[in-house]
Amino acid sequence: MKKFREHDFWDRLRALLKKEFNQLRRDRRFAVALIVPPTLQMLLFGFALNSDVSNLRLGIIDDSRSPESRELIASFTESKSFRHAGMFVDSKELEAQISRGKLDAGLVIPYNFADRILRGTPLNVQLLFNAVNANTAAIGTGYAQGILQTYNIGLNAGAMRGSSLRRITTRTAFLYNPGLISSWFIVTGTFGVLLILNGSLVASTAMIKEREAGTVEQLLMTPAGTTEIILAKITPLFVFLMCTVLLAVALMRFVFDVPMRGNLLLVLGAAALCTLCGIGIGTFVATFTRSAQQAQLMSFFVNPPLATLSGSLAPIEAMPQWLQPVTVFNPIRHFGIISRGTLLKGAGLDILWPHFLALIAFTLVLVSLSVWRFRKQLG
Amino acid sequence: MRRIFSQARKELTQITRDRLALALALLLPLFLILLLSNAIAFTVTDLPMVVQDFDGSPQSREFIAAFRSSLTFRIVAWPPDKPAEEALTSNTAKAVLVIPPHFGRQFVSGRSTEVQVLVDATDANTARLIQGYATQITQSFSLVGTTSRPLVGASIRLWYNPGRESQKFYAPGMFVLGISMFPPLLAALAMAKEGEQKTILQVYVSSISAHEFLLGKIAAFIVIALCEWVISMAALYLVFGLRLVGDPTPLLVATVLYAFCVAAYGTLIGAAIPNQAAAIQAVALGGFLLVFLLSGLMFPVENIPAGLRWISNIVWGKYYIVIVRDALLQGGGWPAMWFSVLMIGVIGAFFYFMAWLRMRAMQVKA
Repeated sequence: MKKFREHDFWDRLRALLKKEFNQLRRDRRFAVALIVPPTLQMLLFGFALNSDVSNLRLGIIDDSRSPESRELIASFTESKSFRHAGMFVDSKELEAQISRGKLDAGLVIPYNFADRILRGTPLNVQLLFNAVNANTAAIGTGYAQGILQTYNIGLNAGAMRGSSLRRITTRTAFLYNPGLISSWFIVTGTFGVLLILNGSLVASTAMIKEREAGTVEQLLMTPAGTTEIILAKITPLFVFLMCTVLLAVALMRFVFDVPMRGNLLLVLGAAALCTLCGIGIGTFVATFTRSAQQAQLMSFFVNPPLATLSGSLAPIEAMPQWLQPVTVFNPIRHFGIISRGTLLKGAGLDILWPHFLALIAFTLVLVSLSVWRFRKQLG
Repeated sequence: MRRIFSQARKELTQITRDRLALALALLLPLFLILLLSNAIAFTVTDLPMVVQDFDGSPQSREFIAAFRSSLTFRIVAWPPDKPAEEALTSNTAKAVLVIPPHFGRQFVSGRSTEVQVLVDATDANTARLIQGYATQITQSFSLVGTTSRPLVGASIRLWYNPGRESQKFYAPGMFVLGISMFPPLLAALAMAKEGEQKTILQVYVSSISAHEFLLGKIAAFIVIALCEWVISMAALYLVFGLRLVGDPTPLLVATVLYAFCVAAYGTLIGAAIPNQAAAIQAVALGGFLLVFLLSGLMFPVENIPAGLRWISNIVWGKYYIVIVRDALLQGGGWPAMWFSVLMIGVIGAFFYFMAWLRMRAMQVKA
């Protein structure tokens, strides 16, 4: 008897799966929603969010007008960090240009610059930064310090060998991303955002559809049980969304040249968990809303916090202390650590396992929560 | 004129009846500003750092103390027998400071030495900051206790935001993002609803003209946008300590134009797409994605590759962000801002014109 019923279960499930697969396959809008938004978002985020600080527009007042001062100016403008954006005579004019946003920085060289250098007495040049953008100002200051350091070393070497100035130089080695390509960070983070946000949107639309069309009753009248209905709903969604995952991986590899240093299977495994999380969220949202429009409105409100509190666009370390612990409850954060760890750093499961555990926990909670809500609704 | 007014009043009545939507429209931007301005920052502090001291001299310990006492770095323990690179792979640290043997002896005898800093460059921006900070700390350490100093130093002045608080930069951006998202969302929903429920047909048969109908609708959502503006501005003032600097008239003029612009955008979307679900997506694309990514909200527009950058010239949020930041931080006034104000007006007029074309066409059809 039992064996007979089990056979029944698989039969019914197969029939339902066939129905769902066919329905989704024929739905052109579903196909568009699977392909277009993820591609568009990954390309836009990857290309538009570029944290490079280079070619800062530097206005210069040179009161010294000497070979020495010109050499200093050259060492600023020859670097990639600063760009010569005009000489000024009057400091008022320089200030006005900075306040109008025509200049990012200003360099003021005093009239006695050459004199003091020849005599070997220390002096200061003045550097003005438009610090409205704190990040640009912080990095620009670092650049300027570095340029001055090199300039001083050059002066010392030219003046006298073995000068009294003792120095410690820092040699910086950039690991994992020696070219400092900022899109690698953004793209590997956006990956997780895509999985969760698009996954949930696609899932909620698909779940609501049956209700909007009013065909839920027909499903309930079939001999299929709720478990079978739910399984048959989720499986094709998962399969199709995993195609999106492959698409995203291909974009990262071939458009953004992200190195794939670690085991790609780890990323795919984490992506599968994330997709299930997304489906869980989408199904859960769908049980609370009456129409596709409501589900979308909800995502409109939930997405920005989910995306920004994940460390996928901006480093978590830069958030205020009270906000940082909140990110632990965001699956996107854990996925981001896994994808960056594997793809960029070549880390393995021995290091990343806590984040896998967290993802598994999120998946279990979200999926069972949504199944419970869904069951309740069907029942 | 009277008909515009009554159309606007009808619209406002409808919105105020939907308490939930109204609360969301006015409070969500506030929530957005408070949350996102804190969540998006790039100037990292308190970065975990592992030190490998192969010297173990008093000098090297002093040097480490210089790093420890900085706000930027936090020294974390790491077993000396494990390779330091693993600290970066496992996210225990963001940087490793390697002090070579004989560091102290060389330093005392007045010769030059080198230290190495390994940086986790996964996040390029943080890596650049770490490099800058490490150089600065090292430089000031090598000068302690000596009379000699580098010949050319720099006295650095940071204008407009001397504390380098990133919130002062991002909060005005999020303020603009909120205004670019919610009023057009409501406008698009209201307009799409007329199309969905076919009440638009009643409008066609009434004596109201396309201009009057549109202006009435837009006026209502301008009111919503301005209410939102006041609430959000209060948050900028109270929470982030931002004040108006310089001439406020460019901001005021631009605000009215921008309110018109976003209301017209929402109305256009609603008129063009008489389906609420699809209209929401269209607003999400224009109001959120474009304003968030292509407006210089996070990073300078110049960093975007040229193939995409031209799009930012038609992103209305870009101009308003520039104006709000100028009014709250720089105070450049009209000479700096006239073009941006003009562009908001032009883009708003374009949206209105398109919406009008759309309405007129439908009226003929119906």
